[in-house]
Amino acid sequence: MSSSVILPLIEFKHVTKIYGAGNTEVRALWDVNMMIHPGEYCSIMGPSGSGKSTAMNMVGCLDQPTSGEYLFDGQNVAQLQQDELAHIRNRKIGFVFQQFHLLTHLTALENVEQPMMYAGVLGKERKERAADALAQVGLSDRLNNRPNQLSGGQQQRVAIARAIVNQPLLLLADEPTGALDTQTTQDVIDIFSKLNDSGITVVMVTHEPDVARLTNRVIWFRDGAVVNHNLNPADLASVTAGSATSVA
Amino acid sequence: MDFAESLRMATRTLSANKLRSGLTMLGIIIGNASVIAMIGIGEGAQKYVNGQLQSLGPNVLFIVPGNREARQLGDLDTPRTLVVADAEAIATQVPSVTAVAAEKTTQGIVSYRNRNTSSSIVGTTEGFLPVRSFEVAQGRFFNDLDQRSNRLVAVIGDTLADRLFDDQSPLGKQIRIKGITFEIVGVLERKGSNLGLDYDDAVMIPITTLASRIVGRTSPYGIDVSFISVSANDPDVMETAEFQITNLLRLRHRITEGDDFSISSQDTLLDIANTVTGALTLMLAAIASISLFVGGIGIMNIMLVSVRERTQEIGLRKAIGATQKDILTQFLIEAVILSALGGLVGTGLGVSGIFIIAALSPFEAGVSLSAVVVAVGVSGSIGLFFGVVPARQAAKLDPIVALRSA
Repeated sequence: MSSSVILPLIEFKHVTKIYGAGNTEVRALWDVNMMIHPGEYCSIMGPSGSGKSTAMNMVGCLDQPTSGEYLFDGQNVAQLQQDELAHIRNRKIGFVFQQFHLLTHLTALENVEQPMMYAGVLGKERKERAADALAQVGLSDRLNNRPNQLSGGQQQRVAIARAIVNQPLLLLADEPTGALDTQTTQDVIDIFSKLNDSGITVVMVTHEPDVARLTNRVIWFRDGAVVNHNLNPADLASVTAGSATSVA
Repeated sequence: MDFAESLRMATRTLSANKLRSGLTMLGIIIGNASVIAMIGIGEGAQKYVNGQLQSLGPNVLFIVPGNREARQLGDLDTPRTLVVADAEAIATQVPSVTAVAAEKTTQGIVSYRNRNTSSSIVGTTEGFLPVRSFEVAQGRFFNDLDQRSNRLVAVIGDTLADRLFDDQSPLGKQIRIKGITFEIVGVLERKGSNLGLDYDDAVMIPITTLASRIVGRTSPYGIDVSFISVSANDPDVMETAEFQITNLLRLRHRITEGDDFSISSQDTLLDIANTVTGALTLMLAAIASISLFVGGIGIMNIMLVSVRERTQEIGLRKAIGATQKDILTQFLIEAVILSALGGLVGTGLGVSGIFIIAALSPFEAGVSLSAVVVAVGVSGSIGLFFGVVPARQAAKLDPIVALRSA
C-alpha cells in the first residue's frame, strides 16, 4: 500500500440510532465508530438484537442516523434527502437479500434490468448489460426464465446480477446464504470472492461462522455497539459461543 | 424513469394479473356504459321531440287558452277563454295571417253498422288543411257552409277508415258518432302521429256541429276551443303576427293586464322541449355517473389491496433506487390505465347499447363525439383521483419495513 491516504468507503463517526421515544425508546446503535475501506471483503456479525441489522440498513443508505455522521464515499448521508439516498442506492450500492426479492412476474433478464430503469439506461444497452451481469454469475442460459423456474441458488445469482449491474462501489448482502443449502452457499460465496477480486467492496451480514470465515475481516456487534473491529475470521470458533470480547 | 418506461412497466404488472385487472375495470366499464347510454337516450329523445316539433312548420303559431306563465302545475282545469269567434276575428283582421284553424277535441264511440271503436273526435274549421298542412286523400274537407249550417258531415283519418270499412270506400257512408249519424265526405291522407296527436285515427267534424250536437256550448262567449293554430304568410313575419294577434285578442277580451291566452311558435316550443329534454339528459347522466363514481372507489380499493400485497416489491424497488416519485407514478399509471381502459370498453358497450335501443324505439341512434370524449376523460381522471391515495401510501412506505414484511 502506498503512503498516500486512502479514504474509507464507509465511515461511522459516533453514529447513534434511536427508535421510538420516551418509555418505548430503543437504542439500536449507540456511539458507533467504524471504517470500511474500498476493496475490503468483510462480514458483520453479532447476536440478534445486537444492532447489526440497523448498522446494515445504515450502511446501505436505507436509514439515517439519529445523531453522528455517516460518510459514504465521502458524502455525509445523515444530511441527504430521500431522493438523494435513492440515487446513491441506485448508482453506488448493490443489495442482495436472504429472500432474493425477485419480481415474480418478470424474467431473470427483466429482473436484472430493474435498477437500470431507475438509472435511465434504455433499450438495447440495458438488455446487453443485464445479459452481461447474468453471464458473470453463470446464468447465460437462464435469461428468459421466471423466478419460479429457477432453483434457490439460481435465484440468488439473479439477485447478485441485479446488484452488480449498475457497477456499484459496494455490494451489501444481508444473510445471502440463509435460504440456501451448503453447495449453493459455496457457489454464491465464490461469486462474492470473484467480485471482490475485481475491486468491488463486499460487506455481508451473516450469522453463519462458516460463511464469515471466508471473508477477510469480521466486525462484531453486541448491544448496539461494535465490540471488535478486526476479528480474525480464523478465531471465530471461539466467539460464536457469544463472547467476542474475550479474544479482543 | 421516463413515462413510456413507466407505462410499459404498468401494463406488464396489470397483465400479470388479468382476472383482477378485469374485475377492477368492470366497475368503470359499467359506469361508463351507463353514462354513455343515458346521454345517448337523452340526446335521442331530444332529437325525436325536435323532429316532431319541426314538422309543425316554421310559420305556424299556436294560441292556447289560459296564461301559460300564470298556470300552476297540476291545474287540470283547462280555461275556456278562447272561442271560435276569436279564430274568425284573427282570420279577418290580422293581415299577416293566411289561414286559421280552431280545434276542439273530445273522445267518443264511433260506429259503422256493427263495428264500434273509441276514437278522437276533432271539431275544427276549414282552415285545418292549410294550417296543419294536411291533404284530403279522397272526397273533400268540410267547408264554411257545412260549418255555418252545423251539418252532420265528417272527414275520417286513414287508420280509422281501415278499421271501420276495411277495403270499402268510406265516402258517402253513414257513421254514428256518439249516437248521432254523420255522412262521410272525405278521407285524410295518412300522416303519422305527431306530439301525441294522431289524426290518422280520428274523425273530423265541423267545430260548430261538435259544439251544438255533441259536447254542448260551454263558454258564455261562444264555442270554446282547445287551441287555435295560425299560419303566417312568411316565417319572417312571425313576430309581427304574434304582436298583432296579441293586440287583437287583448282588445276582444278587454284585457289591460294578465293575458288569458298564450301564443307559442315552433321556436318557443323547441325552447321549452329542449329545456325539458336537457334536464332529463342531465338527470339520467347524473344518476349514471354515480355508478362511475362507485367504479372509481372500486379501483381505489383494489389499488390499496395491491399496495399491501406488493409491499415487498415496493421495498425492493426503493432499495435498488426508485424515488418516491417513481413509485407514485407507477401506481398512478396503473390506476389510470385501469380506469381509462375501462372507460373505453364501457363507451363501446354504451354506444352499442344506444344502437340497440334505437332499433327498438322511435328514437334516433347517436351520441355526440363530445359526450364520448368527456366520458372517457372523466373515467381517466377518476383513476387519477382515486389512485392518489394508494399511490401516496406506496410512495411513502419505509423500504426497511417494506422489505421485511412477510
